[in-house]
Amino acid sequence: MDVPAVALRDVSLGYDGRPVLSHVEFTIEQGEFCALLGPNGAGKTTLLRGMLGLVPVLGGRIEYGIDRRTSPPGYVPQRESLDPIFPLTVLEVVLMGTFARLRPLRPVGRRAHRFAAECLEQVGLAPIAGRPFWSLSGGQKERVLIARALAAEPRILLLDEPTAGVDPGATVAIMDAITRLNRERGLTVVLVSHQLRIVRQVVRSVIWVDGGSAVKGTAEELLTAERIADVFGAVAAGG
Amino acid sequence: MTALTDMLSPTFLLRDALIASVLVGVVCPLVGVYFVLRRMIFLGVALPQLSAAGIAFSFVAYRLVVGVHEHGNLSERSLALLGSLAFTLGGILVLTAFERRGRETVEARIGMTYAIAAALTILFLALDPHGDAEMVNLLKGDILATTQTGLKLLGGVLGGVVVVLFAFRKEFLLVSFDRDLAVVFGKRVALWDGLLYLMIGATISLGVMTAGPLVTFGFLVVPTLTARLVTSRMLTFSLVAAALGGVASFGGFYGAYRLDLPLGPAEVALASVLFAVVGGGAMLRGGTRLRAP
Repeated sequence: MDVPAVALRDVSLGYDGRPVLSHVEFTIEQGEFCALLGPNGAGKTTLLRGMLGLVPVLGGRIEYGIDRRTSPPGYVPQRESLDPIFPLTVLEVVLMGTFARLRPLRPVGRRAHRFAAECLEQVGLAPIAGRPFWSLSGGQKERVLIARALAAEPRILLLDEPTAGVDPGATVAIMDAITRLNRERGLTVVLVSHQLRIVRQVVRSVIWVDGGSAVKGTAEELLTAERIADVFGAVAAGG
Repeated sequence: MTALTDMLSPTFLLRDALIASVLVGVVCPLVGVYFVLRRMIFLGVALPQLSAAGIAFSFVAYRLVVGVHEHGNLSERSLALLGSLAFTLGGILVLTAFERRGRETVEARIGMTYAIAAALTILFLALDPHGDAEMVNLLKGDILATTQTGLKLLGGVLGGVVVVLFAFRKEFLLVSFDRDLAVVFGKRVALWDGLLYLMIGATISLGVMTAGPLVTFGFLVVPTLTARLVTSRMLTFSLVAAALGGVASFGGFYGAYRLDLPLGPAEVALASVLFAVVGGGAMLRGGTRLRAP
């Protein structure tokens, strides 16, 4: 049996010593495609950020099946967290992913440029490499950030609401790109999303975050009509 | 034209001052790039004032601990530099620590810092009975009095700042643009922040002592904002900002020499004219790329 990509053992996460999530226990297997779902404010992003080491672990432990120093996780943040004052082209943003493996004083060479261009190709945006990042649509920016995550050569990809605020066409393009990466490259994928209908079609397992804790199960087990209606309303439950 | 020929002559009386002026004009915008991108512009007002308070404090401390010091000699400038650097770096560290924990607004913290630093500067000066015109000149930043030794120190330190900024630009960009990603990549974020702040502190300290708080703040911000109007890549942003700073400082020096104007305000005024011209041009071309900091 393979070592899990990530295992949370009785983990508590929070800020200023106050837990937001307590006694969280689950494993994510290598190559699994998993969605973090739950009501607004339940702690989905906190859990994702905790798995990335961005939120303090107050109790328990998080084990990684990979050496994070040699294979850092690919991280796609909410794009609103990035400041548009930075003058950056699409290629410059993607190149930042290659910094994961570049030591200080090592220049960003031709290999890194070539690899960043390949990552852009994988999300279908190679022709716009020279365009200013901030001139792109929300969906395009999100795909650029996925390319940046790929440029770190990760074995696990964690995405924070990659389809939030983008139009339906762009949502399909983003989810297609992520699904292909999972199927064709065996990349472990964990994503936070509110797009229940689309998530249901692509994920095999769900981590349901609610009431200060999280449980893992299959989409069929956890995404019951009652639970969805309770949290997202009757329309979502019907869809 | 004669004034320009004079300035370019190797025997120009104010040659050291001209070189010092252009050095400050080129390096301050390179540091200013991070001021603008990290949205720390107002810190640029408070830090030069803190630097001035540090200079005044170092003299008071020397007088209390060691005894009376002579104004105008090298040890006085070294003492001033030490005080300036200590206060500037201390200020940056305290303000950034509060930034992560404090509940009040950034403007409130910076405003408080400025008010306290200005009051302390005057109080420290009043406590030193030898706080004569020489010291006031030091606080004002009397660039025309730049000596060979002072120029060598300025060139060495600012040269070092430029080398560090370019050598580690990918690290500084990563921790400035996406701090979380830097943490995920296992980068030592506090170390890179600290090194960047050290570069900022050294530039401001020397800038204030050489050219004064007005020129230092002006060149941290104005050429940088001008460059942001016309660039869409990080490297060109830095290079254009430095070039604009160099042009404004040289042109300002020329204007001040030719028209017998005060040097610092002439340089900052020319930098502002460049901003207006470039900004006007960008608006005429159909929109500016500058986002309000």
